[in-house]
Formats: sequence, structure tokens, C-alpha cells
Amino acid sequence: MLASVRSCALRGIDGFEVQTEVDISSGMPTFSVVGLPDAEVKESKERVIAAIRNSGFDFPLKRITVNLSPAERRKSGTQFDLPIAAGILAASGALSKEAVAKLGSLLLLGELALDGSLRPCAGVLPMLISVKPQGGMAVIPPGNFMEGQSAGNAFITPRTLRDLADWLEGKLPTESVQIAYMPETDPTPENKLDFSDVKGQAVAKRALEIAAAGGHNVLLIGLPGTGKSMLAKRFAGILPPLSEEESLEITKIYSVCNLLGKMTRRLHERPFRDPHHTISEAALIGGGSNPRPGEVSLAHNGVLFLDEFAEFSRSTLEVLRQPLENGSVTISRAKETVTYPARFTLIAAMNPCPCGNLGHPHKTCTCSPVQISRYQSKISGPLLDRIDLTVNLNPVAYSDWNKAAEGDTSAQIAARVLAARQRQQKRFKGTDTTANAFMTTQQIKQFCPLPAGADAILEAAMRKFGLSARSLDKVLKTARTIADLEGKEQIENTHLMEVLQYRPLDRKGVPDL
Amino acid sequence: MSVSMQERLARIRINAFLYLRADWLARLIDIFGSAEEILKQNAETLAQQAQMNPSTAAHFLRDAFAIDPQEELEKTEKYGGRILIPEDEAYPQALRSIKEAPVALYVLGQLPSKHQACIGMVGTRKITPYGRRAATTLAEGLAEAGAVIVSGLARGVDSYCHAAAVRKAKPTLAVIGTGIGRCYPAENRELARAILQHGGAIISELPFNKPPNAFHFPRRNRIIAALSELVVVVEGEAKSGALITAKLALEMGKDVLAVPGPIDSPQSAGPNNLIRDGAGVVTCVKDIIDYIPEPELFDLQTPSTDKEVQQTAQDLPDTQKRVLEYIGSQEVSADQLVEALGLSVPEAASVLFELEVQGFLTSRAGLYSKNKF
Repeated sequence: MLASVRSCALRGIDGFEVQTEVDISSGMPTFSVVGLPDAEVKESKERVIAAIRNSGFDFPLKRITVNLSPAERRKSGTQFDLPIAAGILAASGALSKEAVAKLGSLLLLGELALDGSLRPCAGVLPMLISVKPQGGMAVIPPGNFMEGQSAGNAFITPRTLRDLADWLEGKLPTESVQIAYMPETDPTPENKLDFSDVKGQAVAKRALEIAAAGGHNVLLIGLPGTGKSMLAKRFAGILPPLSEEESLEITKIYSVCNLLGKMTRRLHERPFRDPHHTISEAALIGGGSNPRPGEVSLAHNGVLFLDEFAEFSRSTLEVLRQPLENGSVTISRAKETVTYPARFTLIAAMNPCPCGNLGHPHKTCTCSPVQISRYQSKISGPLLDRIDLTVNLNPVAYSDWNKAAEGDTSAQIAARVLAARQRQQKRFKGTDTTANAFMTTQQIKQFCPLPAGADAILEAAMRKFGLSARSLDKVLKTARTIADLEGKEQIENTHLMEVLQYRPLDRKGVPDL
Repeated sequence: MSVSMQERLARIRINAFLYLRADWLARLIDIFGSAEEILKQNAETLAQQAQMNPSTAAHFLRDAFAIDPQEELEKTEKYGGRILIPEDEAYPQALRSIKEAPVALYVLGQLPSKHQACIGMVGTRKITPYGRRAATTLAEGLAEAGAVIVSGLARGVDSYCHAAAVRKAKPTLAVIGTGIGRCYPAENRELARAILQHGGAIISELPFNKPPNAFHFPRRNRIIAALSELVVVVEGEAKSGALITAKLALEMGKDVLAVPGPIDSPQSAGPNNLIRDGAGVVTCVKDIIDYIPEPELFDLQTPSTDKEVQQTAQDLPDTQKRVLEYIGSQEVSADQLVEALGLSVPEAASVLFELEVQGFLTSRAGLYSKNKF
């Protein structure tokens, strides 16, 4: 007998439909799965056998062949347990004719426990969004309820394989294989981090406000304990709220990585990812022979914070260039090529020198000039070119700390950022550009005309600070953001001067000639 | 005394052996009569006659024959330079008279005349803002008075001293620790070019393309000490190359002056110790000029006091003046300015930008300090 059940697999963060065909014929009892299954799909045989038996059915001792079609695409994930088991039940005649017909209209996803109960699996949301269950319903594990609701299809969530079979036979009413609607609890602002927690550091706060307003990347250079991580952790809080579309994108990525909690329907907070500096290239940008999104994709629409930036291996830092440039990562493997979205704001933090005391008011730096320049030059030119704002943080003395202003709260800053973003949205309406930082050369020409007297400023900056012509574009984009923050139509000279104070690492102490 | 071309080439050859002091090389020339004659010997006779270790003698001959003196000459001439030996008239008299006079001296640019007072200015590579102000102010004053600053083109104090002279369009003399075909550190390439452009000179006793090596630097310090009427130590750690130069100068019977500094600054430990041991104290350009042994030999103007900067500072807008006043002799962050003077961040940023571009301030790791006193 032959049976066919619809299911899905993932490619990148999109799903594609997979027909699970099960054929049972007489012969030596074997059970094989074909159609480029990955290890976890092959292992599903053992789970399926146990689940069928423990659900009170007989497992047919015949020649069983499972084909996952389209056969030329690789399939991974544990969601095939349920469709394979259901297919075997249908093909072996354990289900009635009506039940088999009903099964044909369903889309099945789910991992099976050995006792036959359904366990949540990864990627349910993107699979249900990409593959609509055409008229019929989707069957997903109860643990993926929130994702099913988020995708907006009709679906049922039977607890066990037996429940599903009974429902197919009409022995169970639909209500009993559905969880009643659970109202989503509002995201509670539990110990929200606020910018006013950070005392002093007015310059760094201002730079982060500009970064949030224009989507610029930031490099924080400062001695240990000056508040680099504290500031970075608060950065996501001043970004504009996620749009529906953005929220869906990141929820899909987290679903693929199986990082969505049971109770999360949608992510409402911008992600903040802070991988350790020993991270491998593959973990940072995604990869593996069976590609998975990396930290850059998990930080999509949010913040990627790289502390101890200069301690990352050089090759790891270099792979950041593609996502910083394109807002996506393409991973090419011999078997397939997938693209993950990765548009994030990079906040990098590093010490000024290997010993971390350069510029400290009391401690002495023990590094040689060569060590310092080698440390700083670890951040390559092409990478620095993608960082628009560089800020030096200096330690705050106790007397200053005690009386230092707390500054604006995150809410106040976020309001200004939002206003600036709205101005940009109006400006870039109908284009792909989402913020000033992503302006094309053409757009820079159009939206960043130089005010009178700007030539003298930029010329002086090139002469005095060794600013390259290439970095002028960065200056203009950032100045545009400052103008937007102030609600000005045109860039003014003071905006340019401010941007130039956030210029990259100092030259190596070369005197003026 | 004229020297044959063959002998000149032979001198360039023996000069390439860096592991024998120059006075030893001179002794070898004395024993054998000429450099040419030395190179005709084999390692054994060389070792025997000059009482050298045989392996050193072998190494000596190997190094001497490893370079092509003709090529050295050609490359140097291509750069517009020359290679002097002590018999040449242009060879500096001050060098000829020391025990370890370089056997060959590669020269780019114009050596100072005997009417120009040469002042050695040396110090640490890890310069502090205080050292920068001191080096700049003193070197500019000396250059204007007509003195030639002699230093080593290293990072830090050396480069600030050379740069001050260059800014005043005055000659300065750099004695470098690599061959003259190289520039170390590379970031001083621009400075080296400017030195030659303003009538200064870059000299070295090392073969044309010799890369930097730690032992080259203390060695070249004797040349700085020898060429200078006196040596000023601007900043230096308790054990530093600057102090080697000072010690060598003292051994040559020259005065050593030191710029006093804060007692808790490691970079001022060197000069402060020198002062304790009796070195002259430098607080202004006149202090240095007063120490020149025979000032009547040189064309020197009495130094002007540094009114120029103060004058321009008077014309600055109010906020800029307030910022300069607040910074004083400290290193100050933009955050401190914002807090103390009640400026907004954008205001502070544009004021700092203007002051930096006009040359009043220098920023380093986010800290601003004044360029001059």
C-alpha cells in the first residue's frame, strides 16, 4: 500500500514543502528513509517504531520505504517523525479510508517521543509561513502552539500520535485536539536597563544616540571599567520599536534556531547578542555542513556587541565585513547555498592597549609603542571603514562620579531617535534604504549637500587627522543623522565638526609638520 | 689627504661588520696600513696579527665581502647623498676627534656648518603631553635662535624636536639607527622628507639598506653626543636610551642639561635623576643657549619669548578661551569639559575641533592637552 503525507523542511529561514511518501510491500522486514535525509531524519526511524508500538498500533513487519520528495534537496530536522509515523499507519491499513482521506489534506510537523507524544521542533513558524496548508489544517506539537498562532493558519495540536489517529477517525472532537486560545502576556518591562543608570560619559551617550538614530556602527575604546558594556547593553533600549515585519523576521530566525520559548509568539524586543571573543567564524556568521544562522543573524534588527574587539581572531573579524556591507550572510556549502538576514548595529568595544592602562590618570601603561600599534591595527582598515563612530571613554574620578549628571533616560533618548528615524523614512520612501548609514553614493550626493565653509573644515580634517577621502562619505552620512536629530533640513558646519570628533583611532603620535 | 677609490670601497666593506667597535676597525687599519690590505688577508693571518678571535675574523671577512661597496655608493648617490670617510674634508670634525669615529658615514642632505650650534635633544619614545609641550617649545625656540637640533628620528621626543625645527623651516640633523635607505619608524617618513627639504640632514654609519636592530640605537647615540655642543634630555625613564646619550656626552666632556618634570611621572625619572646628579636645569630656551661653551663661535640670536601663541590665544572666541584655560597643563576628556563648563556635547565637540585644527590642542585616546605652555 502507498500513502503520501505533506510536511515541510527548512532552507535558510524559509520552508519548502516535502511530500512524505510511504510504501509498504511484502518482503524482508526493512525500514529505509531515502531522499537526502540528514542524520536526525535517519534517526527518526527508531523513534517512529517505538512511538507506533507504544501508541497501541502494530508496527508492520514488512518492507517499508519512506521517500522524502523533492529528493534532490537535503532535509534536516526532527519534524518528519510525525508525518512518517502517520504515513506508515495509513499505508499499513491501521487507519480507515475516511481517515486516510482526511490525512491527505493536512500538513504534519512534529517530533515524536518514544511513548508517542508530540514534542516541539525547530522552525515551525517559518515553515508554516512559507507553506500554506491549502484548505486543510496544520498539525503541530502543542509546544509550538505560539508559533502556529503567529503564522495565522488553522491548526490542531494533538498531544499524542494516538490522539491524532482518534481525531482522524472521528472518535475525538476537534476541540479536544486544540489548545484553547491563550492570551499572550504583554512583555513585562522586568528590570529594564536605562541610560540614566550610567553616570557621566556624556560624549559616549551622545554617540550612541546618533548611532541609534542613523543605524551607524560604533567602536567604544576605553579602559576596563569605564562603562563600555553597560552602555552597549542599554543601546537596544533606545532603538525605535520593532515593526511587525521586523518582528516576524527575527522570530523566524529564532524559531529556526529553536531559541523561541514555549510562551513566545513574537519577539517584541530588539535582540542583543554579545558573543565571547573566542567565538569561531562559523558560530559568528553561521555555517556548519548543515547551515545554521550565526550570531550576526540572531542579532538581526538588533545589536551585536563584540566586547574585547581586538581579542577576536583576525579571520573572525574579517568575516564580519559581508554582513556589515550587505545586511545578510550567504553561506555556500558544496551541497547548498543559503542566505540569512543579518542587518544589525555593531557595537564594538576594546581597550586602548594590551595592558589596558594607556591614558589612565594614575596607572602606567607598560606596553611598547609597537605593541600598541599592533594591537590597534588588528582592526583592519576595511572593517574600520564600516564603523562610523569611534568614542574614547575615560575613567570617571570619584569626585566627578558623585556629582556627574545622570543625563536623559532611555525613554527620552528613544523619543528623539524615533523622530529622527521618521524623518529618514520620509526621505527614503520608495527606496531600499532604511537609515542614513545605508545611503548609497547617489543618495549621499542628493541628501548631504555641503554647507558654505564646509570645505575648509573637511580639508583641515584631512590634513590634520589624516582622514582619507574614503571616510568622507562616512562623515557625511553621520552628519546627516545629527541634522535629523536636531530636526534640521540641511547639514550644518557644527554637525560636521561634531562627527569629526568621533573619528577613528589616533594616528601613532606623529607630530604636525 | 686624498684616498684612492679602491681604499674608499674597502672602507665601506669593513664598515659593514657591525660587531666590532669603530675604534677596533681603526686599529685594524693601523696594523695593516689600509682597509684594502686588511681585506687581502685570510681569516687566520687576520686573527693572528690583530689578536682577534679566529671566528670573529672569519665573520668579519664574510660580512665585509657580503656587501657590494660600488652598489652602496650608487644607491646613496641616487638618493642625492654621499658616503664620507674620516679623511674627507666634509667629514664632521666633531666626529673625527672621538675614539669611535665611524669608519664610513652615509649622509643625506646638508651637514651643519661650523658656525651653526648643534644641540642634541633626546628623550623617550613614550612621550607624555608634558614632554610634548617641552620638546616643542624648546626645539622651536632653539631653531629660531639659529641652533641645529640633533636627534635620532625615533618616535616620541625625537620626532617632536625634529618636527618643531621643520615647522620653523630650519635645518635639523637626524642620526638614525637604520641605513639611510630606510625609515624607521615608517610613520616618520613624511618627517624625514621634510627634514631634507628644509636644509637638514639624515646621517647613519650603517650600510644603506640596514634594517633596524635593537643594538644599532645605543651605538648611534655616540654620534648624537659627539655632534652636539651639549645634550638636553627632555623626558626619559630611569633606564633609557636617552640616558645612554647623556652618559656618552658626559664622557666626551660635554654638558648635559635636563628638563625637570613631575616626580611621579616615570618619563621624568631620567631627567630628574640627572638634575640630582648635577645636570643643568632647563626651563627655557635661554637656559640652553647660556650653556653653550663658546657661544661667540656661532651665529645665534637671543631667543624670543613665546609671546606669539599667547597673542593668538587672546583673539579666540570666549568659549574656546574658557576651554583652553580649563585644560591648563592637564589632560582633559571631553566629558570633563561638558561637566565643568556646562557645555553641550555638540558644542564641546565643535570647540575642540577648532582648537585642534588651529594647533592649540592635541588629542590622544580621547584626552585633550595643550601643545604649548
